Amino acid sequence: MINATDQDRYNRLKKTSTIHYNMEVNKVLSEIIDDFPDTLSGMEYFYNKFKPLEAGESIYPKGKKLIASMCIHVPVELIYALDAIPVRICSGAYSADTAGSDFLPAKICPMVKSTLGALYLDMLPGNANPDLIINPTTCDQKKKMGEMGEEIGKEFYVLEVPPSKDSEEARQYWQRTVKKLVKKLEKVTGNKLSRRKLKRSIKAVAQAQSEFRRFMRLRKNAPVIFGKDALLVTNSYFFDDISNWTEKLSILNDELEERIEKEATVTGPRTPRILLTGSPSIFPNMRTPILLEKLGGVIVYEEFCSSSRMISDTVAVDEWFLYDMVPAVADRYLKPSTCPNFTPNDDRIRKILLAMEDYKVDGVVYQTFTGCQLYDMESRKISKELEKFGYPVLNIELDYNPKDSGQLTTRLEAFLESLKENKRKK
Amino acid sequence: MQKFKIKKYIDNSNVSRFRFWIQLVSFFIFVYGGYFFIEIGSRLPVFSCPYASGSPGGCYLIGVQHELNSTWSTIFSPRGISILKSLGIFFIFFIFLNKAWCGYVCPLGTLQDWITKLRKFMGFSFVRYDEMSFKKLKKIKYLILVLLILIPLAINNSFFGLPVLPHGMHTPFCQICPARIILPLFNGDMSQIFVDFTDTTTIIMTSLGLMVAAIFLVGSFVKKRFFCFFCPMSALQFLFSKIAILRLIKDGDKCTRCGNCSRVCDVGITEIADDVLSKNIVKDDCMMCFKCVEACPEEGALKVKVVNFDIFSATEEGFFKRYGETDDPEHLKKHGLLNSNEESKKENND
Repeated sequence: MINATDQDRYNRLKKTSTIHYNMEVNKVLSEIIDDFPDTLSGMEYFYNKFKPLEAGESIYPKGKKLIASMCIHVPVELIYALDAIPVRICSGAYSADTAGSDFLPAKICPMVKSTLGALYLDMLPGNANPDLIINPTTCDQKKKMGEMGEEIGKEFYVLEVPPSKDSEEARQYWQRTVKKLVKKLEKVTGNKLSRRKLKRSIKAVAQAQSEFRRFMRLRKNAPVIFGKDALLVTNSYFFDDISNWTEKLSILNDELEERIEKEATVTGPRTPRILLTGSPSIFPNMRTPILLEKLGGVIVYEEFCSSSRMISDTVAVDEWFLYDMVPAVADRYLKPSTCPNFTPNDDRIRKILLAMEDYKVDGVVYQTFTGCQLYDMESRKISKELEKFGYPVLNIELDYNPKDSGQLTTRLEAFLESLKENKRKK
Repeated sequence: MQKFKIKKYIDNSNVSRFRFWIQLVSFFIFVYGGYFFIEIGSRLPVFSCPYASGSPGGCYLIGVQHELNSTWSTIFSPRGISILKSLGIFFIFFIFLNKAWCGYVCPLGTLQDWITKLRKFMGFSFVRYDEMSFKKLKKIKYLILVLLILIPLAINNSFFGLPVLPHGMHTPFCQICPARIILPLFNGDMSQIFVDFTDTTTIIMTSLGLMVAAIFLVGSFVKKRFFCFFCPMSALQFLFSKIAILRLIKDGDKCTRCGNCSRVCDVGITEIADDVLSKNIVKDDCMMCFKCVEACPEEGALKVKVVNFDIFSATEEGFFKRYGETDDPEHLKKHGLLNSNEESKKENND
């Protein structure tokens, strides 16, 4: 039972955090839109997706259940098939970080803190008010964060993700986990999973994947879009209606194709092409991509769970019946995932190495959030492997506090300078 | 440019549909071809069973069992050269299609695919094996291959002073092969369904044969390509698979190990997804149906080659054509696809 003073404190915190959140969003949006010349008209839709909202106004259609997820390991196909709306609530807001810190130890990753804070203060994308919050057991911090649920007055559904993905045992375990999730979702939504609806939702997601892959194919050319924009496209996938998203991306892709034909690139040919990987950049935490591109680089590929890792991988069904479709959907969220919570995770190195060639990358920026052990630990192995092939890597560590950008700027600047030097020599 | 277009057309095509028709035609040729005076020889790498009156030839296994049913002195005399000659003929047949003989031509394979279709039509799920025990069971095909070579020899020759085997064991594999019993049924011949009471050996062998045929029918209903895991022809083919002309090549660097290929694989090969080092990815159970290539969304990760010439490759576009396009009217309506089609039809009519 919350007493009156606590309630008062909560209301005050919520009010100030919301104000800070709106300020944060406006600032980052204006940096993304106004500080760069020549914005794409196809991006307008995606920019608008991130405009701050008035309190209490939900953007989701009424009458449908809202299923929140904290990871890419929640099968959205199942949620769509049950006539519910999936929303990914991983937060990038510094304004929610402080609220989350009250419940967690100091040395915790800011994304976890911010997500918990956003949940506590009901500051979710599009003012979502989820009917179910699914917490996959990926990294330890997210896993244990679920236990704070009671304290903040929310219930979390634990989705058991195996710690390794290579063995058949892990696959069976995961498939059973997903079957259990279907039961839970059926209970929450009150609908029954049907063959026809699941098939339709698998195809709808496949359409999105196809369009996203086209988007990525276009980015292999001379850069016609900045990474900061690409990240907003993928970030809106968190909460946008999937067929709208696909349609709008298709329009953007058409525009990019036109630009490639006209050779209307956003940067010169000498601009270093960057691959960005590590802890995911989630709006409004766009510090690294914005700085990188303001300082004269261009991001051509993001190996993030807020980007390619979330959308690219596909579902192949052999027999279009529920007995084969549900395991097929489950497989897509396990086998190709390059999340560092899996060990071993050589697939991530192989994916990055392939992208280095395909996207003609000049250098890698590896971002780690302070307190994120998994990305931190993997950075060593990945840097070593990349350096073996002569690719330069810059490891940076940062949290959500936007104030200490000075050192980051210097390091990124020096790195870009050396990449430019390398390019000149070639 | 023209060549480019044809390649793209093939890469976007639905090979499984193509395979269905090839299988249907092959089944007709190999079960009824004999009635139309088709004669393909008796050293074929598929179950073209001479016990069926409509068969246009014979499978190599029956030939090799007959040839080895002789004494060492015959085998090592100039007459033994014929054994090598028939192996050579088998090899020449085999080398063109590699294991695609199993996936596209073998009537027994086709029959199992049809039984699978029947199961799907009835809406039953397939059965999954426990991986570990299954990996061991798969070895049986090599054991059968060795036995079908050794037993005929042991009828005429004494191994290590042991007594020779009874003559009732001649062509031992044919006696237990489901093709002998099932394929004649398609010619309206039920005469193979019997137990031979001549002596103990024949009683055992013929009843074993009936049991295997029954297991074949039930097994392939619950498991795709059930019999192929135990097929000695598949084992024999695999010995030569590396040097065949038709090849399935994997580029491990492009593979994300998403497992699409192995999950659509009728024989459940996991290496196709997990092995990122091998180039030649044809495994002993593979029947080269190329469903894996159809299910692969990574540009050029899997390729079907004739020598070094690509004939069918995995492409993004092809994948989404096969797996992403929907014929669901509600979806089409939502995106205005259905309406525009109707409108254009109207315009045409006007």
